[in-house]
Amino acid sequence: MQCDWPLLGPLKWIRYVNKQVKVKAGKDEERCGWLLTVDPVSASLVLVNFKEEGGASVQVVMGHAVEEVEVLREADDETTERLQTSFLPSKTRRLDPEELRKRRGGVRGWLEKNRIPVEEEGDELRVAGVLTITAPYGPEDCCSSNQIILDRIQKLIQSVIQFQPDNPETDPESDPATTR
Amino acid sequence: MATPVSVLRLPKGPDPNCRGFDPNSPRFIALCRTSIVTSAASETDAEQLPKEQHARSVLRESFLRCLLSMTNKKVRFHLHERVKVEATFGASDIDVLNFQVSDLHTPIGVQKEALIRCQDVISFTFEA
Repeated sequence: MQCDWPLLGPLKWIRYVNKQVKVKAGKDEERCGWLLTVDPVSASLVLVNFKEEGGASVQVVMGHAVEEVEVLREADDETTERLQTSFLPSKTRRLDPEELRKRRGGVRGWLEKNRIPVEEEGDELRVAGVLTITAPYGPEDCCSSNQIILDRIQKLIQSVIQFQPDNPETDPESDPATTR
Repeated sequence: MATPVSVLRLPKGPDPNCRGFDPNSPRFIALCRTSIVTSAASETDAEQLPKEQHARSVLRESFLRCLLSMTNKKVRFHLHERVKVEATFGASDIDVLNFQVSDLHTPIGVQKEALIRCQDVISFTFEA
């Protein structure tokens, strides 16, 4: 039995995100959970249930098997925050502005030391006009359409992290004084 | 039950001429109705298209990160007829039509490497 769920489209699916839903799929099987996302290609729903001892249990229901989706309630701010951050470690963890400023300065100093043109644009670093680095300025935070530059900058930043892993105070903050 | 079972038949590979998201490929037309129908609907309303594309990319990125976090974790698949199997997740293809898994525990033994067709899967679960 095919229902209309796969045909709704991204604009309708995104309205279900961050809500607690009950999904009927397969033979009289119901699953409940907080909806994290819907895959636009397969219409699959990603449901998260938080465990009492921390961590989460994730269920993904394939779009072709969905029979009914019912919204139970909306997430409050705390749950939304938890959904966005605690589950997927690849998303940015929030660092305080001072820490970010130091890191940004560190990365910028390192790039300048390597004779690479870099400018600060708000919270981002713009490298040679073609690559952007967002917080927290790690190799995974580089964005560019130029693969070669992306690769080179990522390797450079990787060596900053290995050089000074957890100590932003001794970062190239002090270096500009010695190099200039 | 932990004795590995030899592979009986290798699955047929994808058509080398098609590129996954190509909406004209026979594989896509046969199996993925979703994206085609949506694009057709929004073509009639040009204003909606950028919003739809933004929503689509946000949703897809979230889903891809979810798949990424699943790699090398034990996943329980719920298949049709209430069959449950457990395996270590490897990768998914771009259309989410097949999952590559290792150490698939089936009722007839453990498959060292396997491809699970997503049409056979109703849902799957793992611990984050």
